[in-house]
This record gives sequence, structure tokens and C-alpha cells, in this order.
Amino acid sequence: MSLIETKNLWKTYEMGAEQVHALRGVTITIEKGEYVAIMGPSGSGKSTLMNLIGCLDTPSQGEYWLNSRKVSQMNDDELANIRNREIGFVFQTFNLLPRATALHNVELPLIYNGTSAQDRHAKAMRALEKVDLGDRVTHKPSELSGGQRQRVAMARALVNDPSLLLADEPTGNLDSKTSVEIMKLLDELHRQGNTIIIVTHEKDIAQHAHRVLSILDGEIAEDTTIPQEQRNGVH
Amino acid sequence: MVTGSLFGIAFDALRTNRLRSGLTLLGVIIGVTSVMTIISALEGLTGSIEREIEQMGPSTFMIGTLLTAMSEQEALDKFKRKPLDYEAVQIIEDGCEVCDKVAPRAARGEDLKYRDQSMYDIVVVGATYHHVEIYDLEVDQGRFHSYEDDLYRRRVAFIGAGVYEKLYEGLDPLGKDIWVGNQKYTVIGVAKKKGSVFGASQDEFVYVPFDSFRRQFGISRRGLYISVKARSVDQLQEAMDEVRVLLRSQRHVPFDQPDDFDMLTAESLLTMLNSLTKILRFGLVGISSISLVVGGIVVMNIMMVSVTERTREIGIRKSVGAKRRHILTQFLFEAVILTLSGGIVGIVAGFLIASALVGMLNVQMNPSALAITAGLTVSTGTGLVFGIYPALKAARLDPIKALSYE
Repeated sequence: MSLIETKNLWKTYEMGAEQVHALRGVTITIEKGEYVAIMGPSGSGKSTLMNLIGCLDTPSQGEYWLNSRKVSQMNDDELANIRNREIGFVFQTFNLLPRATALHNVELPLIYNGTSAQDRHAKAMRALEKVDLGDRVTHKPSELSGGQRQRVAMARALVNDPSLLLADEPTGNLDSKTSVEIMKLLDELHRQGNTIIIVTHEKDIAQHAHRVLSILDGEIAEDTTIPQEQRNGVH
Repeated sequence: MVTGSLFGIAFDALRTNRLRSGLTLLGVIIGVTSVMTIISALEGLTGSIEREIEQMGPSTFMIGTLLTAMSEQEALDKFKRKPLDYEAVQIIEDGCEVCDKVAPRAARGEDLKYRDQSMYDIVVVGATYHHVEIYDLEVDQGRFHSYEDDLYRRRVAFIGAGVYEKLYEGLDPLGKDIWVGNQKYTVIGVAKKKGSVFGASQDEFVYVPFDSFRRQFGISRRGLYISVKARSVDQLQEAMDEVRVLLRSQRHVPFDQPDDFDMLTAESLLTMLNSLTKILRFGLVGISSISLVVGGIVVMNIMMVSVTERTREIGIRKSVGAKRRHILTQFLFEAVILTLSGGIVGIVAGFLIASALVGMLNVQMNPSALAITAGLTVSTGTGLVFGIYPALKAARLDPIKALSYE
């Protein structure tokens, strides 16, 4: 079975008396090891789709299997468990705990699955070294540059060895030089075998991926594979 | 494992907000302090009264016409009773098989004088030599009066430590004169110092032989008190029954009428004391608990603010896999750490204040296990009760909304 399989996903919000359909029957399949970009203008439903894939939310209709487990009908705590073990998030705004050190931020997912303090420390250190921040572990986010913060967030996403790395506009708050640096790191992580989904509205960024899902008005408008020579970055 | 980490997270959150945590604590501290002060002070006072009562001994009971009154009317009615006379003492002595000792006692206020030193309206007690055996009256110097002193109606006096200090400061009191009212007595002994209860000295008294007292003052309208010691604790009830029968027949009480005298044991006195302090305790603790509720509301308010402020943090935690119960526990821990540490400070402060208050009355006080347990339980409970709503609010936040909260 594929890593991600969705069947006819609908997400409907009640806005007063009106019903707004953010997703209108999205059916996609993503294999393990793929590098996928979800593209679309704002309001297209790409954030909603990301929230569903990231198990932050459940669909109004349709089915979703992640790693052969049907997550579309799970309750809050089961979803939390899936997020903890299967998914690593990288957000546009980094979403680090401002008062905690880089190390503690990276340890965070491990706290909620009962990893011992010793293992937590070792795993978090390893993850930080992977993103080249082994010398910044005691720094707080405010003492780090934007690119370094995003790398801390990536270390946090990786620390639990998730099945899926989900990056929502990962370079949205970064300058172009730092963006390149972060995308290089994502490319490298893909090369190491991680499955990565990037949500973005920038073509440059999307072209790092091998496959682009374009979404428009809550539906998949296009599903393109990007030929190797058109890809950005080194693969 | 997870719980321990959550405790650490809660603790860190409070530490980074020191001033706010401190101010929040204040409410709980004041609440617990006031509850503790009252519990400790009451415990200290009743404890010292209990020790006083226990001096009577478990096999002894007291007879009088007005020993207890739960209302003014009852007191007035009892005041009209025929006083106990000396004949009653003799009847009990002759008729009660299981009575070991019968000690009559009469008391009145008199002025004392030694040379140019005087004391006014001091309790003068006429008692037989048994008295010292029935009550825990400890002799510090000299002796209590003897059978012979009683028999020959000697004018000898056994004085309290307070009287000794006032009249004979720096002197050897034994063998000195003492004027009790208009008669001169000789001091033969001094009692051990007892201290004071409710600010009233327990050491200002004079004991004289019962018959000397009778000869000087007669027996007043209020009559006698008789203390009876049964042969053993097991025979206390039997002794009381015998005495009741003897006295009823001496006083011609018709069989269908209740006793026209009171009988009291140390145990019944303690029961009375407890029922009195229970009301006091409930009332005062209830009133002071209001401040605890206020403290709790302060904690709840701050926790609500904290949850709102940290909405994004909660979103981050949820996105990396925190379950509802993790968030709930973290915030409950915060509330309980706050109230519990406030409680600990309050317990110490309350005990110190109570000691200072009760100390002014010269009563010695120990930290009571009950007060400490109550303080810890109440402060933890306050944290749980007032922390649960904000914590639930935090736990139920939708991760997507929380993450996009600005």
C-alpha cells in the first residue's frame, strides 16, 4: 500500500448559514520516498489539504489512509499519536517555543511519547547535528537567525524518524539566500530517503520536488511529474 | 515518565513568570494563612484546656448544683437549687461502696495579705487532704495539708505559685504568715507553676483545710462541690449510680423527677469542650475559607490569561503530538504548584501567627498534624478545583486555530 492514499476528501466549513467547501473531493496517492509539492494560490484549499494530510484535522467526507492506517475517522488523541510518530512539521513561522533552548524544542515530540530524558537528549543532539546546529543547542530562538530557527524546526520534525516530513511554506519567512540553504537541506533529507511534502505558492520552491500537485478551488487541477532536468537543486 | 516531564514544563513556565506567579501566590497564601492561624490557635487553646481537665483523672467525677448550663435559663434554674451541704459528703462517704475518696470543696474570693504585700479577690478553696490525691496538684515546696490539719482545723495554707511570687518574692515562704480575709494562716506549701489559660493565671489560689474554711466562712449559698474518686475507672459508672441514689434520697427527690444536682466526669467535660469548639471551628474556618476562595479565583483568573497567552505554545505542543491529557496535566500542575507552594508558605505563616497570638496567653503550642494535613489538602484542592477549567480550556483547543493564533 502507498504511504498516503486519500479517497474523495471533502472539507466543508459552516460560515453562518452558508457552507464553504474548502476541498471538493481530493483523491491522491503518494508513495514512500516521494518528494511532492502542493501548489496553489491562497484560498485554493492547499492549507486545508495540508492540515488533513498532517492529521491536524479530519475530513468532512472521504477517506484517508496514512501508512495503511485509516486516519480519517480517528479521534483527537489517536490523531495526536499519529502526528507524534508519523509526521514531522516544518512551518512558515517556525513555531518554536520562544523561551526554550534549541535542544528543548527538538526534544519536544519525544516528551509526549515517554522517551527517557537520556534518550531524548541523545536523539535531539543527533537531530541538531544533522541540520548542522550541534554548536547552537543551548541557544534560544531569539538568539538564532531565521535560517537557524528553521533548521531547529527541521531537527524537531526529524527527531522521531517520521514517515512524512510536511513543510508548509518553509521559506516563506526567509530571505532568498537562506531559502536556498533550507531547500538544499530538504533536498538532502529527501536524498537520504525521507518522504517530503512541501506546500508552497512559489514555483521556484515547488520545482525542487519531483512531482507537483496543483490545487485550485478545492480540487486537484494538475498532477505533474517534473523531469529531472527541470528540477531545481541537485538530485 | 511523561508526567514527570510535564511537571518540569509546568515548573519552568512558572519560573519564567516569577512576578506574576508570586502575586498569584499571594491570594492563596493569605487564604491558607488565615485558615491555619485559626485552626492552630484553636488547637493550641483547646489542647491546654484539655490538659487542665485531664488533671481531674479518669476515675473521678464532680458533684455540684451548678456545674454546667447550656442556657441562661438553665443557669438561673440551677442557681435556685438547694445547695449541697456537708451532710451529703458524710452520706457518700458512709454509703458508697465503690467510692475510694470523697473530697468536698468550697471556694470564695478573698483578699490576701503578707506584711505590706496584698492581693485582692483571690480564690480561696477549702478542701480536704484527699484533694491532692484526686487532682493533679503538684507540690513544689513544703506539703499539702494532711489528715491531721483537717481534723484539728489548723489554720494552714497551701498557696499557688502566683501567690508565692507576689507576696513572698525572694523569701522562703514556708512558715510565714498569710492573712486570708480576716484570719491569719501559716504557709505550709507552694504548688508548682501552671502558667495561664486565656490570659488568666492558673497560679493564683490558696488552699486551706475544709473545716478551717467552714469555720471561717461557713458554707455559702452556692454550697459545696464534691469530688469523688471511684476505686477504679471500671467502677466509675457504678460509683456515680450509687452516689446518685444516695443524694436523691438525702435531697428527697421524687422518683419521677430528674436529679437536682449535676455530675460531671473529665470525659463529659471534654465532650462538652469539643462540642463547643466544633461550632467555633466550623464558623471561623468557614469565614476564613472565603479568602481561600478568593485566592482560588485569582489563580483561575491568571490561569485563564496564561492559557490565552500561550495559545500558540499549546498549538505547537499539539502539532508535535501532545494529547489532551498532556496539556490538561501541564496546566493543572501549574495551578497546583502555585496553590501548594502558597499553601506551604501559608501553613508556616499561619502557625507563626497563631503561636504569637496564643503565646500572648502563655499557652504552649505544637504544630498540629491535622492543621498541616488540612492546609496541604485544601491548597492542593484549591489548585485542582480552580485550575481544572482553564486546563480543560487549554486541552480542548483546536490545534489549527491555536497554531494560527496571533
